Amino acid sequence: MEKKKITIALAGNPNVGKTTLFNAITGARQHVGNWPGVTVEKKTGKRTYKDTEIEVVDLPGTYSLTAYSIDEVVARDYVVEEKPDVVVQIVDATNLERNLYLTTQLMELGSRVVIALNMWDLAESRGDEIDTRKMEDFLEIPVVKTVANRAEGIDALLEEVVREADKGEHHEHEVSYGDDIEKKIIELEKIVGKDSALSGKYPVRWLSVKLLDGDENILEKIEGSSVATQVNSVLSTIKKEDYEAAMAEKRYETINTVLPQVCVKCIKGVTFSDMIDRAVTNKYLGIPIFLAMMWAAFEVTFTVATPLMEFVDMFFGWLAGVVAGSITNPVLGSLLGDGIVAGVGAVMIFLPNILLLFLMISLLEDSGYMARAAFVMDKLMYKIGLNGRSFIPLLMGFGCNVPAIMATRTIEDEKDRLVTILVNPFISCGARLPVYLMLAGAFFGRQAGSVIFGIYILGIIVAILSAKLIRGTVLKGKPSPFIMELPPYRLPTLKASAIHMWEKGSIYLKKAGTIILAGVVFVWLLSAIPAPGVDAAFASEEILGTEDSLIGVLGHIIEPLVAPLGFDWKVAVALVFGFIAKEIVIGSMGVLYGTGEDEDALAEILTAGAMNPLTALGLMVFTLLYVPCIACVGVVKKETGSWKWTLFMVAYGTTLAWIAAFLIYRIGTAIGWGL
Amino acid sequence: MANTNKMIFAMVVGILYVVFGILKMLEGFGIETGLAESLLIPGDFFGGFCFVVIGAVFLYAVKELSAGVHMGVSYVYVGILMSLVFMAVYLLVMGADLLMFYAVKSEDYEGWRIIDSMRPGIYLGLLSLIGYFYWKDRFTTEMTKV
Repeated sequence: MEKKKITIALAGNPNVGKTTLFNAITGARQHVGNWPGVTVEKKTGKRTYKDTEIEVVDLPGTYSLTAYSIDEVVARDYVVEEKPDVVVQIVDATNLERNLYLTTQLMELGSRVVIALNMWDLAESRGDEIDTRKMEDFLEIPVVKTVANRAEGIDALLEEVVREADKGEHHEHEVSYGDDIEKKIIELEKIVGKDSALSGKYPVRWLSVKLLDGDENILEKIEGSSVATQVNSVLSTIKKEDYEAAMAEKRYETINTVLPQVCVKCIKGVTFSDMIDRAVTNKYLGIPIFLAMMWAAFEVTFTVATPLMEFVDMFFGWLAGVVAGSITNPVLGSLLGDGIVAGVGAVMIFLPNILLLFLMISLLEDSGYMARAAFVMDKLMYKIGLNGRSFIPLLMGFGCNVPAIMATRTIEDEKDRLVTILVNPFISCGARLPVYLMLAGAFFGRQAGSVIFGIYILGIIVAILSAKLIRGTVLKGKPSPFIMELPPYRLPTLKASAIHMWEKGSIYLKKAGTIILAGVVFVWLLSAIPAPGVDAAFASEEILGTEDSLIGVLGHIIEPLVAPLGFDWKVAVALVFGFIAKEIVIGSMGVLYGTGEDEDALAEILTAGAMNPLTALGLMVFTLLYVPCIACVGVVKKETGSWKWTLFMVAYGTTLAWIAAFLIYRIGTAIGWGL
Repeated sequence: MANTNKMIFAMVVGILYVVFGILKMLEGFGIETGLAESLLIPGDFFGGFCFVVIGAVFLYAVKELSAGVHMGVSYVYVGILMSLVFMAVYLLVMGADLLMFYAVKSEDYEGWRIIDSMRPGIYLGLLSLIGYFYWKDRFTTEMTKV
C-alpha cells in the first residue's frame, strides 16, 4: 500500500530546542541547503510514522512573523505560500508568554498548528503547573509535551500531527484587536478581497492585519495590486506607529488572559480576573454558569419590575379617566380612550421590564463577562456550524433583533453571517416580552418567571437547531475562526450601564410613540368601522371590537388558519397586527376584548374561558417563532440583499411557529394537561 | 491550612446549595418534599437549577483543592460571588414585594409578611458574605505565595 505523504514545518523562537526536535524526528535523514534567494540555512528531513511519510522542514527561528528580519519573512512566506499540512510550533515551556506571541501570529495565518511544549521537564522541576487541556481549549490547538533532548514525546507529537493533517475541519481562534482596529480590518478585508490574486494566495484577514501593522513586505505586495489606491486611502487615515503598538498590546493582552488559566506559577501574581476566568471558562461549568447568570438577569427583569409596572398602569388608568371625563365627542373619546390610551398604555406598561432587561444586559456587558460568555459558547457555536462571533449578535437579539442583525456585519464569513441573520429572529426580543408577561402572569402565577425563561430557552434551542440544519444543507461549509476578546473585568458603574440602558430603552419609547401608536390607531379604526351590511354607527359601543366590525370580518377570514391551534379570531387579528410591531399583539387584544389598557381585566377575560394554559403557552410559542416585525424583516432584506432569503426566513419561522403551537395544543389536549 | 479552611467551607456551602437546589426543583415539579414551609423553599425549577450550579462551583473547588491544585481557590471565590449575586437578586425581589404591599397596596399582597419573601438565596448568601469578608484580598495574596 502506498504511504500517505504530508509536509510539516517546525517553527519557534530561537533557542527553544527546535533543531534538537528536528534531529529527534528525522534522525539521519536530513538535507541542508539554503532558502531560495537568501543565505538562510534550510534544513529538511524525512520520517515515516505508521503509514505516513512525513517531510519535515525546519524554519528559521523567529520571535514573530513581522517583516523585521529576513528570517521572519522566510518563515512566514513558507507557511503562507507553500502551505505545509501542519505547522509544529516548538514552545519553550519555561517561557510561555514570549513564545505564545508567535502562536498568536501563526493562528492568524490560518495554519493548522500543533504545539510541542518543549523543555517540559524543566518547567515541571521548577514547579510550573501547565494545564495542557486548558491550553488546547483556549487556543484551539493540540498541545503535546516533549523533551527533545531525550526524544520524549516524539511519537505522541507525530500522532497528533498526523491526526491534525487528517482532520476534515479546522477551527481556529484568533486575537481580537478591539472595536476600532477591527473596523479597519473589516474595511481592508473588503478591499483586499477584491484582488483575487492576493486573496487566493494569502488569508485576507492576515493581510489586513499586516497592513495595519505597517508590514513593509506586505505593503510592497499591495503596491502592485489593483486595490493599492483604496488600501492606501484607508491606511492614510491611521497613524501606523500607534496601530502597531496597539495591536502588539492586544496580542499580549490576550496572552496574559490565557496564561494564568493554563499555568498558575508561570506568572508573578494572580488577579481576581484570573480567578474568575478560571471558573467561568471552565469546560464543564462555563455554560451552566452562563445560564445561571442569565436566569438571575431575567428574574430581576420580571419580578422586580412588577411594582413599577403597577405605577405605569395606575398612570394610564388615571389618564383614561381624564380622557373619558373631559371629552364629550364619543368618536374622539373612543379614539383616544379605547384606541390610543388603551393601545399605547398596554405597551408602555412593559417599559420597566424592557429597561430592566437592558440594564441587566448592560451590566453583564460592561463587567466584561459577556466576552467570556462568547468564548465559552464558541465550542458549542462551532458544533452547530456557527462562529463564536455569532454569539454576540444572537445575544443582542434579546434586546432587539434589528440592531442584532446589523451587528452581524462584524462576521466576516458570508455564510456564517447569513446563518446568524436567519436564526436571529428566534432569539426573543424585548418587544415579545409583553405577550409572555401578560399570558404567563395570567395563566402560570408564581411559575410565570420560569415559564418565560423556558420560552427564551426554547428560542435559543430553535435558533441552534435551525443553524445546524441550514449549515448542514443549504449553506454547507466550515465556520470562520473565532476572534478571542477577553478584556479585563471591570466593576460596571451604574451611570455607564444606565446610559446604555437608556440608549436601547429609548428606542422602545420612540417606537411606542410612532409605529405602535399608528398600529393601534389602525386597529381601532378597523374595529370601529361597521362590517358591510351591519347597521350601526362608526365607533359605536355595539360594534367596537366585535364580530360586527371590519376587524371582525378580517378575523373570521383568517380564523381557520389558526383554529387548529386553539386560537379564536381575536387572537388571529392580534397576531396579524403583531407584524407591525410585536408589542401590538397585547395592545390589539386589549382593544378587541374591550378591556383597554387594563391588563388585569384582559387577564380575567382570558382565564375565564377565552383561553386556557395550553392555548396561552401555544400563543407565547407562536409569538416567539412566527414572522418577526416589519422593521426586522426590512433589515434582513437589507443585510442579506436578497428577497429569497428574506422570504425563506419569514416562511420558515411561521411554519415552525404553527407546528409548535399545534403540537402544544394537540398533545396537551390529548394528555389533559392544563385544561 | 488556609486552603483546608476554604475546602471545608466550599464543601459545606456547596452541599447546602446542591440540596436546596434539588428541593427547589422538586417543589417546582409539584413534588412535595415536606421541607418547603420550614425552610422557606419555593417551587422553582430554574431557580433550583441555578442553586445546583452554584453548589457545583463550590464542589469543583473541593475537587481541585483536594487534588492539590492551588488555583482551585478560584472556584471558592466565584462560588461566593455567584451566591452574593443571587442574594442580591432575592433581596431586590423582597424590595419589590415591599413596594407591592406598602405603595401599590395590591390585593394579592393582603396579609403579606416580610418572612413570605425570605428565600434560601438570602440566608445561604449570608454564609458566602462571611466567607467573602473573612478571606477577601487573601484570595489573591495567598495564591501568589503558594
